[in-house]
Amino acid sequence: MHGLGETSAMTVTTTGGGSSLLATLRAPRRGGQNRRRVIHLLPGGLAWILPGFIISVGLIYYSIFYAGYLSFFEWGGGRRPMIPVGAKNYLQILGDPIFWSAIFNTIIYFVAVFTAQVIGGVLFAAAMHSRIFLANIYKIIIVIPVVVAPATLAPAHIQVWQTDGTFNHILEGLGLGFFTQGWIGQSTTSLLVVTLVGCWGSVGFGFILYYAGMAQIDPEMLEAARIDGAGNLRILFSIVVPNLKAITVSLAILNFITALKLFDSVWLLTQGGPAHSSEFLGTMIYAETAGTSRNLGLATAMSVILIIIAISVSVIIQLRARERAPVS
Amino acid sequence: MTKIRDTALTGIVVVSLVLTGCATNAGSGDASAAPANSGKLTWWGWTPDTPVAEQYIAAFNREYPDIKVTYKNFENVDFRTSLTPALDSGKGPDVFDLSPAGGSADEWGSYAIDVAPLAKETLGSDWESKFGASYAKQLTDSKGRQVALPLGGMAAGFIWVNQNILQEAGAAIPTDYNSWVTTCKKVTAIGKACLTMGAGGADTFPTEMYHSIANSVDPSYFIKAATGRAKWNDPEGIQVLQIFKKMKEDGIIASNVLDGGQYPLANNSFMKGDTAMVQMGFWYTQYAGANSCKNAMEAAGVSNPTCFVQLPAEFPDVAGKGKGSAYFGEVDYGLAINAESPNIAAAKTFVAWMTMSKNGQQNVANALDLLPSLQGVTPDWSTLTLANNAVQKPLIEKLIADSTATTQSRQWQATKETLDAMVVAIQQVLDPTVKMSIEDIAAGQQKSSKTSTVGVG
Repeated sequence: MHGLGETSAMTVTTTGGGSSLLATLRAPRRGGQNRRRVIHLLPGGLAWILPGFIISVGLIYYSIFYAGYLSFFEWGGGRRPMIPVGAKNYLQILGDPIFWSAIFNTIIYFVAVFTAQVIGGVLFAAAMHSRIFLANIYKIIIVIPVVVAPATLAPAHIQVWQTDGTFNHILEGLGLGFFTQGWIGQSTTSLLVVTLVGCWGSVGFGFILYYAGMAQIDPEMLEAARIDGAGNLRILFSIVVPNLKAITVSLAILNFITALKLFDSVWLLTQGGPAHSSEFLGTMIYAETAGTSRNLGLATAMSVILIIIAISVSVIIQLRARERAPVS
Repeated sequence: MTKIRDTALTGIVVVSLVLTGCATNAGSGDASAAPANSGKLTWWGWTPDTPVAEQYIAAFNREYPDIKVTYKNFENVDFRTSLTPALDSGKGPDVFDLSPAGGSADEWGSYAIDVAPLAKETLGSDWESKFGASYAKQLTDSKGRQVALPLGGMAAGFIWVNQNILQEAGAAIPTDYNSWVTTCKKVTAIGKACLTMGAGGADTFPTEMYHSIANSVDPSYFIKAATGRAKWNDPEGIQVLQIFKKMKEDGIIASNVLDGGQYPLANNSFMKGDTAMVQMGFWYTQYAGANSCKNAMEAAGVSNPTCFVQLPAEFPDVAGKGKGSAYFGEVDYGLAINAESPNIAAAKTFVAWMTMSKNGQQNVANALDLLPSLQGVTPDWSTLTLANNAVQKPLIEKLIADSTATTQSRQWQATKETLDAMVVAIQQVLDPTVKMSIEDIAAGQQKSSKTSTVGVG
């Protein structure tokens, strides 16, 4: 039994034929004909992708390494002098309680949004596969938050969560007026608002992937489970969800990276406040880059830390999620 | 293989050319160019509002019809975030606003030409004395370069009131803390908010309220603390934060104070006519005009607006020491010329006319947006129509006189770190879920602040 990603990889490997570069590279080199084919295909393809390869890899990695270089300077940007400061920027960041608060907020955001995305995505996808009435309408409603830009949605979210906003009006309507508060403007609730907005906007993406993944599951497997007496929930959690493990792992990595570089919705809703209570690494980097206090060396040091965390956690998630080889 | 190598080399050359093109698209200006009578300019600023800027440009074009000026207005935070990368990438405006606050002269002055020669050529060797007190000095960078010329000054330390709401509520303009509480009770009783304020987000507007309260506590405290001669957690600083907290608890400051920034939250609330008072600086005088008030109300979301009568009022004596707030002010902003601009000659003509000509400065005075930076220029009241001339004009004339006489700086002598720390302290004090003591909040403010050496000694 394997997940969706593994199934796809296997398909590519076994397709073979002269048209697939990957297949050619993986084919056993038994004779001179195969070697010639490799020589013929590899440079030709390389020539086609070379411009894009240089731009993407060159620019991106140049920027990353240049950011690493800048992180050892104090620099206001532009024509201001670059003052070498050694590891001072890194030490300043690691000694800054706002940084650790941002890390904590990132973890909270990741866990909450990932959980909501997986549970919401699976449940909605399962429901949509059940031939329910007006399914297409529901699909549109679920997916709309994914396709609309955060900048477009932010004013609506502010309207919902502000002191005189929709949510407080609903609470008052339900007789829960004692529970109303300034959700955006309180240190204890600003992160909650940002996280809820993130959950609301991410369920649709989970739904899209899980919906497509469920369509790939062999119907005979489901039929066999049903013949063995499994009910809907049993099939969902014992057959469907395990088959979607690759998607779940991908979502975990994507969500973690999203949480690490989260900026737009936070800035539009709270600007990281009040009193830095909803600060994320993305807002800290932005504030340091373009705010009232500007030190690009400090900002790039934070960016380097962000990259290190992103790569490390992605590798850990992938390693932890890898299926163990069967014991022979 | 030759063909493949050629293709690869061609690809590399194309990419290199593209990258080279990207790297060299910055213009290269001629700082010594003589002012010209024709050209095209872009001007970026967080102020004035677009209708006021268009008035300036229209008046300029009556004398210089062949110089086309395009103005782009930004919200405060957006201006900073947009201008820096634009200037860095060589795609910045030809002319841009430059504030004296928070080290801006060093921040963006390096992108600007030295305009001292232009000023000397236009006003003579004693050109600095032709401007308002220390206005020119406030726009020099740490190397002494004149990086912008002052368009106008501003002052703060007072409040604006909606007279219509006060009359409807049967309330008076407050003069001390208790009368403020009484006024607010009457205002809220008719379904309006009392004092709107936006202290959420990262903007430094809330520092003006802090400064005003501090002036009521001790008129010399704010500048002393900003320049290191007092601490933010001294008894005066603690009293300021206590008053802040009490103002919210007693219903003076609206409960939604942390929902957003002064712009748009407080501005829109006041301009919509939802709130009786707001703390804004001299620039708010422009909305007393019969037409500009409609524009401001429409911008705040009011359709077919009818102007209300907005009046400047002294900041109440909140500390109970017999005084409100002394006005504090400085040059509001100057106009800087981008050193990379390909249109420096035309930009010099525009900046010189706006900042140093009698007509340009008369235009500034008549817009009621700024105090004219050139001395001796006052509004021409025969050309101005206010929403209610009889009521507003005497108070605005007094406001202009008092604002011009200001001796205390606003943000010029406060560092960015100090202003940011002050905003955080204010947010902590106003946030009901923060359980820190006022003393701890003030101590944190002191720890995060950085002493300014500007204008000291």
